[in-house]
Amino acid sequence: MSAPTSRDVRANVRGARRVLLAATAIRALGLGVAVALAIVAAVALVDLVVELALPARRAARVGALLAGLAVLAHALWRGRHAASPAAVALWLEERHPELLYALVTAWELPAERGAELDRLASRVDWRATVVGRAMRAMRLPAVALAVASVALLLLPAGSRARAASPRAGDRVDRPALARPVDPLASIAVAVEPPRYTGRPVTRVDDPTTVTALAGSIVTVEGRGELPAAPTLSTGGAVALRNGDSRWAARLVAPARAALLHLRAGARERLLAIDARPDAIPTVRLVQPARDTVLRAPTGRIPLAAEASDDIGLAQSHFELIVSSGEGESFTFKTHVLGAVRGGGVRRAFASALSLDSLALKPGDILHLRAVARDANDVTGPGIGSSETRTLRVARANEYDSVAVEPAPPPAEEKSALSQRMLIMLTEALETKRPRLTRQVLTAEARRISQDQAKLRKSVGEIIFMRLSASGDEGEHAHGEGETHDEEAELLERARAAGEHDAQSLDFEGGESPVVAINRPLLEAYNAMWDAGRELDQIDLRRALPHMRRALAAIQRARQAERIYLRGRPPAAVVDLAKVRLTGKDKGDPGARAPLAALDTAAAARARRLARAVALAATPEGASAAVDSLLVLRVDVVGDAPALAAALDALADAIRRGRTAEATTAALRTRRAAAGEPQRRDSLALWSSLP
Amino acid sequence: MTDFTFATAQYDSGDWDSAPLVPANVIDSLARYTTIDVAPQGVIVPLGSDAIFRHPLLYLTGHLPVRFTEAERRNVARYVERGGLLFVDDHNHDVDGAFHRTATEELRAAVGPLAPLPNDHALYRAFFRFDDGPPTTSHELNGWGDNLVHPNLLAVQRGGRIGVLYSSKDYSSEWNYHPDSKRFMSVDNTRFAVNLVVYALTH
Repeated sequence: MSAPTSRDVRANVRGARRVLLAATAIRALGLGVAVALAIVAAVALVDLVVELALPARRAARVGALLAGLAVLAHALWRGRHAASPAAVALWLEERHPELLYALVTAWELPAERGAELDRLASRVDWRATVVGRAMRAMRLPAVALAVASVALLLLPAGSRARAASPRAGDRVDRPALARPVDPLASIAVAVEPPRYTGRPVTRVDDPTTVTALAGSIVTVEGRGELPAAPTLSTGGAVALRNGDSRWAARLVAPARAALLHLRAGARERLLAIDARPDAIPTVRLVQPARDTVLRAPTGRIPLAAEASDDIGLAQSHFELIVSSGEGESFTFKTHVLGAVRGGGVRRAFASALSLDSLALKPGDILHLRAVARDANDVTGPGIGSSETRTLRVARANEYDSVAVEPAPPPAEEKSALSQRMLIMLTEALETKRPRLTRQVLTAEARRISQDQAKLRKSVGEIIFMRLSASGDEGEHAHGEGETHDEEAELLERARAAGEHDAQSLDFEGGESPVVAINRPLLEAYNAMWDAGRELDQIDLRRALPHMRRALAAIQRARQAERIYLRGRPPAAVVDLAKVRLTGKDKGDPGARAPLAALDTAAAARARRLARAVALAATPEGASAAVDSLLVLRVDVVGDAPALAAALDALADAIRRGRTAEATTAALRTRRAAAGEPQRRDSLALWSSLP
Repeated sequence: MTDFTFATAQYDSGDWDSAPLVPANVIDSLARYTTIDVAPQGVIVPLGSDAIFRHPLLYLTGHLPVRFTEAERRNVARYVERGGLLFVDDHNHDVDGAFHRTATEELRAAVGPLAPLPNDHALYRAFFRFDDGPPTTSHELNGWGDNLVHPNLLAVQRGGRIGVLYSSKDYSSEWNYHPDSKRFMSVDNTRFAVNLVVYALTH
């Protein structure tokens, strides 16, 4: 075996340093952990005897951690010399003087390679000294750790958990020292929001009210056993589980406020569940900003909208409905534009509407709105929409007048509808003609002819009423075969009108404006006459062109007249006395007086509040008062949220027996229920002051 | 002051004034058959205003898509909760039409889904008796619109009374003529309107 060299001596010193360093670290760690565990055990012990509030336990846990770290740091500081090889060499020289500073010399003067150094270093077994020192250093922390651990293990698991990991809702974990256990003395509630919200579970100790999103899983826990399942005022199912000296009731939060009625023998307790519905998204259409009329349906219209939701948006898009047609005939097409998914709580989205791609016609109307959907897959989805913007494509005949207020159709327009119907009936009859007998065909054609004659008379009445100096003559009948001079003259004009350019309505020569305006109607009148004649002869094909000419003429008349329609139509006022065949009293129109019903509801609330507060004045009535307040709270939460919040605070204060707090809360509650006190400007009548 | 004033709802979207003669016709029937103190002329009330709460019956019609504003939607819900009767009639008489789809969607959002009203409901006995439920209209019999004779009206009920009455039968077209023309009819087709008003005033 060769003698160690100075290089070996240095390696050995390093080895000794490593052993001492490890021992120092383990000792520091052990002491720190032991101190922290001891503090936790002490907190658990105190909490077992006197219940510690959640903030105090949280502070104690932080204190335990800090104390452990402080002890660890102190122990490391004290053993810091083990980090220096020179100090380790010196420390060994102190314990083995026979080394005669051979280790120090070998460490500090590595060039010295004297055989004497090697001999001295190998003569002494200083390794046992290092190991012994390390073992002694770890003895204290081992003992401390064992003592703290045993103390902690001897405590009930619930107490350990409350001290080591305090959290809201762990009140029922605290072991009950009193027997028998009151299952309703202390409860804890956990609320698990629906999965789509992504929100964490919340826990709360001994609440009077629980706020939960509709569809959340609400778990109520307590100590002991509950003999009967709680009931929900809204009628939902409540599952009860007893076991491990605890009970747990599980229910789904309803869509509206409800009371959970807990019963254990003679003991009862109410828990208000303040269910909050998932609000539907709010959507605002930013562009286009207002309704408008388009002269030409070309180009692109930028669309922009903003949507927001209390939990999160799932999808947003623009919805477009194109309505075409007029009168009684409309067609609709629905389009979806710019659909985007997701977006968080708030998002803006945009798109562009290409009018060319829609192939719009004059008179078409675009109904545009923005729609957003939330991710609610429990009670939803909630769909919100913006205000609707209307974009209308102008008709050519309204270019000169865009300020026409809504008005009912003039009489000619109704005639146009009827004429259109007659055309349809004639076309249908012509289609069915091969399958009909001669007798049936004749009867059907003559029936249409009679209707055509009636319509012609109606048009004739309009024409002659206008052309007559007196409106009373409008009642005058103009039947077939009349030989009235004026009418003959007018019919002559009508024939002339039929030969004239149908689009022209300009006045000519000595023609009066009235005649000019009526010219299309005269043409229609004439065409109807021709159509009726052909129908009487069962020649449907020859009747149809006349009927269509009549329709076109009526349309022209309608268009010609519309530009003169301004303002609201004359209102149809019913002559009540005439209808009832009594007197001449026309009555007095007016609206009903609004009902004043809300004050009675407020008064009823105030009365219920006063009864509940009166109950609380007696020591044995406090529990009943709390229940009454909670029932009142559930009833008013929809209409008076401020009162509901005040009731919640009052019930909580009474339940916890905090008299001063309850007095203030009662004052606030009464003001919320009955309003602020009223100041009187004058003294009462019974005042003794002059 | 009169007991009853016929009110037509004016909403922002669509053609709310598509049946301007219906009010006069209904008022005429009320005067003709009942002793209700009725105003001789109807009023137009914006659906988004508090004026609607002065009227126990509100008439709403149109052809075009119905899109309520926030205020209108909120008012409709409040109106129904406070005891009003909103009578909505599809002037388009088409269950595939935009009025029907959009109006039912808006009503569902405001007050809940519509459900068929039984044909033996008190509405059909409120004044005249309609043993077969709602009277059919000439538009249904002629096969216009959706080519259907709708067997029921739809309704949203609150506390045992009708809050919203929805019709696809197009009474707006059926009743939209001047009351003076009623004398030519063998059977007055506006009698059902009297039931509506009497029901609204008594329930």
